[in-house]
Formats: sequence, C-alpha cells, structure tokens
Amino acid sequence: MEAAIPRIRAVAAAGQTQLLRSAVCATCASSSSSSSRRHFSVFNRPQPNYPGHVPLTKIERAGLAVGASVMSFFDPYRHDLIAATGEATATPYFIYRLRDAMLADPTGRRILRQRPLISSKTLSLPALRNLPANSVGRAYVGWLDREGVSPDTRSRVRYIDDEECAYVMQRYRECHDFYHALTGLPIVREGEVALKAFEFANTLLPMTGLSIFAAATMKRGERQRFASIYLPWAIRNGARGKDVINVFWEERLEDDVDELRAELGIERPPDMRDIRKREREQKKRLQELKERGF
Amino acid sequence: MLARRSLLGKPGFICRSCVRQCQSQLTRAYSTSKDNIYDVVCVGGGPAGLSLLTALRANPVTSGLRVALIEAQDLSKVSSFALPITQFSNRCSSLTPASAQFLDTIGAWTHMKRERIQDYHEMQVWDGLTDARIEFDGQPSSGAGKTLAYMIENLNLTSGLLKRLEELGGVDIFDNTKVQNIDLGKETEEMDLSEWPIVELSGGQSLAARLLIGADGANSPVRAFSGIGSSGWDYGRHGVVASLQLEGDGWGGEFNKIAYQRFLPTGPIAMLPLPGNHASLVWSTTPEKAALLKSLSPKDFIAMVNAAFRLSAVDLGYLHTVPEGQEEELSWRTQHTHINAETVPQTVVGVQEGTVASFPLKLRHADTYIGERVALIGDAAHTIHPLAGQGLNQGQGDVQSLAKTIEYAVSHGQDIGSTLSLEPYSSERYAANHIILGVCDKLHKLYAVESGPLVPLRSIGLKAVNALGPLKNFFMEQASANGSKLL
Repeated sequence: MEAAIPRIRAVAAAGQTQLLRSAVCATCASSSSSSSRRHFSVFNRPQPNYPGHVPLTKIERAGLAVGASVMSFFDPYRHDLIAATGEATATPYFIYRLRDAMLADPTGRRILRQRPLISSKTLSLPALRNLPANSVGRAYVGWLDREGVSPDTRSRVRYIDDEECAYVMQRYRECHDFYHALTGLPIVREGEVALKAFEFANTLLPMTGLSIFAAATMKRGERQRFASIYLPWAIRNGARGKDVINVFWEERLEDDVDELRAELGIERPPDMRDIRKREREQKKRLQELKERGF
Repeated sequence: MLARRSLLGKPGFICRSCVRQCQSQLTRAYSTSKDNIYDVVCVGGGPAGLSLLTALRANPVTSGLRVALIEAQDLSKVSSFALPITQFSNRCSSLTPASAQFLDTIGAWTHMKRERIQDYHEMQVWDGLTDARIEFDGQPSSGAGKTLAYMIENLNLTSGLLKRLEELGGVDIFDNTKVQNIDLGKETEEMDLSEWPIVELSGGQSLAARLLIGADGANSPVRAFSGIGSSGWDYGRHGVVASLQLEGDGWGGEFNKIAYQRFLPTGPIAMLPLPGNHASLVWSTTPEKAALLKSLSPKDFIAMVNAAFRLSAVDLGYLHTVPEGQEEELSWRTQHTHINAETVPQTVVGVQEGTVASFPLKLRHADTYIGERVALIGDAAHTIHPLAGQGLNQGQGDVQSLAKTIEYAVSHGQDIGSTLSLEPYSSERYAANHIILGVCDKLHKLYAVESGPLVPLRSIGLKAVNALGPLKNFFMEQASANGSKLL
C-alpha cells in the first residue's frame, strides 16, 4: 500500500504535465506557429543571434545547467548533456574571459578572425596518417583511431547568446580531441576526468570544473591515482602552461608534438594506459598466486 | 614709498630703450639703479603670469604699480597667433565659467578669438572596463544649456591676454630673456635692497622686485631661489595630445557640444569639442604606449583613437603591441563589439599633421605659495593630472586671489611683498588646490585598477552619483568652481 502511493502520484503528475504541455502547446501554436515545441514557456523569444542559436531566459539557463549537469553526472556518456552543461554555465564571465584570452594573443585573434572549424571535411584524416610518427597530426589521428572516434561528433553550440563567444565554445569543443592528443590521456573515464581538470585549470570553463566531480564515480584505485598523480599534474600544467585555446592546430599538424608541448609549457603526464595495464597484470598475477594457494 | 615708486613707474616704462642702453655701460653685478626697481616682477609669461599682470593693470587700485614681465620665449610670436579656422593648436585647455568670468572682468575675454573658443554643455564620462557611465549636462536647477566649460587653445588665451596687456600698457616686457640668477640685493648708501630679490637676466639687466612672482612653470627657478620645496610624484604616464577632425559637428549638433572621457586602465582618454567638426584629444597612457601612438601612421593613429573610445581593454592592449594595421583590426572588432554610436564621440576622420605630441604627467605641490617677497602661482605652485581639466583653472583661481590680496595691500598702504600681506592669498588657495589635487590623484589611482573588487565598487559608486541629482550637482559645481567653497 505504502509503496503504491508514490507510484500513483507519479502517474498523476505525469498526466498533469502531459495535460499542461498540450494546453500550452495549443496557445503556443495559435500565437506563433513558427516557434518550435521546446519554446512553449516563452511567447516572445528574441530572434537568434546566429544560425542554430536558442535564446534562453535566465531561469531556463539555470534549469538547463542544473538538469544537464546532474544527468550527465549519472550518465557520463551523454556528451550532448555535457555540451549543454558547458554552454549553460559558460555565462556570465567565463566564456568572455576565454574570448579575451584569445583576443590578447596574436594567434588567438587570428583564430577568431578566420573561425576555422575542425571536421573530417576540413582535415584530411588519410593525409594525417602519413605524417611522421611524432607529429601533432599523427598523434591526433592516432588518438582518433585508437579511441574509435571521429571529429564530426561535435555538436553545434546553441545556448550561448554572443555569437563570437559561441564560436569560442565551438572551438574549445572541437579542439578537445587535440588536447587528448597533446596530453596522451585516453577517453576512459579516468583519462577524461584528468583532462577536464587540466582544461579547467587552463580555460576556467565551469563545466570542465564540474566534471572533476565525476572522480567520485571512479573506482577507488583510480580515484587514488587521480588524486596523487593526475590532479596535481592537471592543475600545475593547466595553470602554468599557455592557453591551449590559442593553438592554431590546423597549422601545427606537421610540428613535433614534444616541441609543441615544450612551447606551451606542458609536461606529458605518466601514460595512463601503461599504468592501468601494469596494474591489471599485477592484479592478475595476484589472482594467479591466490589460485595456486599462496 | 609705494606712491613714489608708482610715480616713477611710468617714465621708467617710456624710457625703456634708454634704460637698456645705460645699463649696458654699467657693470653687471647688482648694479641696480632706481630704474630697475619694480613693485612686481613676474617670471613667466604663460596664462597665469599674463593674467596676473593684466588683472593688476586693469584694476585702478593696482594699476599704479611698476611691473615687469620676464619670458624666455618670443612673445611677439604669441601675440601674432593666427591659424586658419581649419587648424587648431594641440595644446588646449578647459576654462570653467568662473575662469572665463574672471578673464572677462579683467577685460581679456574680448581680445580672444571667439570663433576659436568652443563652449560645451554636456559631458559623458565612463569606465572602460565596466561601461558604468555618468552624464553631466546643464544643471537642472538653472535650466538646460548651461555651459560646463570653454575649450580654448592655450595660444589663443595667451595671445588675447597679451593684446589686453598691450592695450593697458605700462608693463616692462623682457621677452626672449632668460633668468640667469636670482639673489638678494645689497645694502648701499642709497638704499637697502638686502631683503629684495634681484633677478639677473640673460640680457645683462638686473631687476629688483618688491614682490617676485613665480609663474615660471613646474620647474620654477623662482621657487628654487626662494627655497620653497615641492612634493609629489610622477605618474609614469604621458599625455598624448592631437588636433582631430570628426565626421560631423557632434551628436548634439553645433550648439550643444559634448565632451567625452573614457577611463582606460592606462589612464583616461578625453575628446574635447572645438568649433565645427574639430576636437582636441588628451590621452594619458604609459610612455611606451605613447611612443607607439606617436610612431603610427595617420590612418592607424585615427583608428587607435576611435578604438580607444569603443573597443574593450583587451583589444586595446593588443592594438598597442602591433606596429601597424590598427585600422584593419578596428574594422574587424567593431563588428563584434556592441556600441551605441551616440554614447561615444563621433568617428574621427582626420588628424592634423604635426599635432601628435606628448608630455609627462606629474603631481607636484609646493610646500607653500609665499615667501618673503615671493609668491608662486599656476604650475610653479602646483602641477595636476589633466583628467578633470583643472590645471589652468587652478592657476586662474590663484591669480584672482593674489590680485585681490595685492589690491588689499595697496589700498591699505601695506608692503605688497611682505609675507604678512601675502598671507591671505596662501590661506585662500592652498587648501582649495590641495583638495583638487588630491581628488584628481585619487580618481587616477581608482581607475588605474584593472581587476578585483574595486572595479565593480567604483562602478556602483559612479552609477550612484549619476542617479543622485543633488550629489552630482555638488560635484559639478565644484568642478566648474561655481559652488560654495569647501574651505
């Protein structure tokens, strides 16, 4: 009996929202047929500032930030939610700060001026595979191949109002894979969290900082490793190194990745895959020893 | 004594050339004859010195004093100042209505080229980091359209004063002449000049002064002679000046001119209206940035000025690091910067050739304005940051006060050179100037802060002052020297 009550309530609530949605949608449709379904709560939404822009009110933005960050905490594979968290928490201040960091740097300014986009269309992946082994392009494509991802999976920025800042966010997002290549951190949860911590220290974007909380969902050994090795590395290198957003990756593809790291003042972290492999082997050996009865 | 001196005064003036001839035959060292004894010797023929002599000559009470002016530059060039109306000198000053009123009282205002003076009625001041803004326009209490200040070329001012002095006559002018030495005189059988300053000139003459006026600028030799110290500091900033042409007569049109000032972290930049589509620029910035500004091509310099009123501090910082290409950068950045065109000055389209110059900014305040037979006025007494346009007006205030003090001394038969007679001048001006110096200094320091809690706080403060009418009026009245005296 007791267990049934909340269930009924939930059903009732669901029915209510359904009702509400349909009711509002009717008015919405009658007032402006062009506005999409998601906008039902605001009748007078301003014109988008750039193609794909979705203007949000402050409450909507706060709701999006809280909802998307909580959901992505529980399901870190929802990269759309992580992206939405990033956009909803980037204003005020943070994305402007990052934009200003680009404006203060000659290369950053050039990037903002040319607004290059990174995709499999703008980058020839087969050509990158033929680059020397230690080049930035080869490291990048090697990383893409190893992790089985493509540069085209990055979604467009929608919730940042300033169109230049929207590009900055887009650029950060598209360069994320280059940061993996630069640091050599894998896309397993542990590597992703370490890289996010590095990005937070370097870009100050709140989403990257929030991602550090995902360390709580890691295994104990991973968490200890993160706290003792990767977090200190991330903070030291992220804060001391130059702004990685100001690297014109498209122009640096043929450069030596170690030289680029030295130029940015970033030291390579201990290879996470190696450590993980070693630990796995150690565990296996222990297991074997146990099985043999020692 | 004084009466006799005044009687002697006039013939002395007429026989100036004869006197000089006589002098050249005499030995140089302190061969002060009676003809070289003056009631007032003013060193420095800038706005302060000329105003003081004009005020003394124009007043019937003091016009009997025998006065001399010593100036290192050629004053005939100053008095023949004539530029076509399409060109403006780069050294301009803001005259408050009180100063203009004083110049009118002494009869000098009518001698200035009125068509080259621009009155303005509105002022827009804003923070370059937060865009917090304060607007000053004609005081609501006295109706709209009240003049806040007059922009005048310094040369127009000095030339007008010189013309008035020529009209009044009675001043022995030693121009193209430097002060070689100032020392106390000697006691002879004829007279005792042991407590009188004797000014030795590069032309060989030496003038004894009952009252020696130091209107000789920030590095005042008169102040050095009298052993008056001065304290203060250099701002490590230069003021870059230039004469500019705008795209139009200003947003308020020909009859409602607006002055603009934006506080950038390196210092304020001000665009002050001149007649027609002309404007005067004063941009305080670091010496390195000033050097870059002066090295730019005209089109890039124009772009820099436009950028300084429009773009973010980050963009401006970058534009100061490249030797060229500012014009192109500006046209790109304006696309991504939200500007309400009417809140910034109209676009600059031209810079008058050869007018981009700079001078170091400093704060100095003499320890006292008076000594035995010495009084300091204008920049010799105080040097101020130009952000509130108070420098020249402080000097005019000094002149007004000193002229009044001398008038009182003359009409009461006192010795005009004694500290006792001069005391009212010092007591009236010193604290008043000190407050203005302090306020401008603090404003500079407040707006030099680039980040931290002070930035939002100062913006809240500025907005609050802007919203509080009576408080704003109080500041405005203080700045235009119309208000009730603080001290």
